[in-house]
Amino acid sequence: MSSVFKALADPSRRRVLQLLRHRPLSAGELADHFPVSKPTMSAHFSVLQEAGLIEAEKTGRTIVYRLKMSVLEDALLGFANTLGWKMTPPRAARKTAALAKE
Amino acid sequence: MEAKPISYYLAPALLVLAALLAVANWYLEPRRAFPSAVAFVLIGCMVVVLVLASRPSSNGAARRQAQDSVRSGIVFAGLMVVLSLSAKLWTTLGNAGGREFSQRALMVILGAFLVFTGNAIPKTLTPLAALRCDEARVQAFQRFAGWAWVIAGLAFTVAWFAFPIPTAELLTVLLLPGVMLVILVQFVRLRRARQRAA
Repeated sequence: MSSVFKALADPSRRRVLQLLRHRPLSAGELADHFPVSKPTMSAHFSVLQEAGLIEAEKTGRTIVYRLKMSVLEDALLGFANTLGWKMTPPRAARKTAALAKE
Repeated sequence: MEAKPISYYLAPALLVLAALLAVANWYLEPRRAFPSAVAFVLIGCMVVVLVLASRPSSNGAARRQAQDSVRSGIVFAGLMVVLSLSAKLWTTLGNAGGREFSQRALMVILGAFLVFTGNAIPKTLTPLAALRCDEARVQAFQRFAGWAWVIAGLAFTVAWFAFPIPTAELLTVLLLPGVMLVILVQFVRLRRARQRAA
């Protein structure tokens, strides 16, 4: 379950899931919606795949991504979008980072 | 080592408990052997299915997933049998209220089962190459059916948990055929939209 929360914590990954809600899309079609490099997109896709939220299927030379979310995960995505969840490091880690900067 | 799901331990434990309860019921009321015999046959069938589903296989993740869903099914069925037999034992021992509790608990478990199965509907994917219609519509239909089934299951559970039995019965009669009808209407709607687009 923590992998699902991790996947939903990032706004880009949530946007990928929202795009896939309409229909399955190829990696290229999905990447067109984001101003980031291909390796970054691939990293997002693999996090979503690890969480079991999407499934990749190779058709010919393209990889098509499909939504594979249960109703509960779908509801969590809805909540995450409404509340604007964002992954923040724990307070202790933030304090250490601030001290290191000083 | 990979962690085993809770159903791995729960399914056999519930079957053992059910068998013990069936023996206790039979012992306390030897003249009413038929219900106990039926319970034994049911438990026996579940044991056979559990043993078949637990056989090791080299088929990997897909096989493991199938085994997990069989075990989850046995957990739900086992819970129902255990509850029925417990309520029977409770009544046999001279206590009141066992029948109503048993009926409510069974229906709550059934509602939870509806939620559980509905939740998994959108996760069941057919390979794109095997689809004979538009994948977007298939996905939309699966999501709709999943949501409808989960909401119906939740309503069913709440009705049997909180409402008087006659109201809960009425809601059951309305709710289940209602949700099936809604899903069927959505199926026809999506199919017609595809035909118009073609």
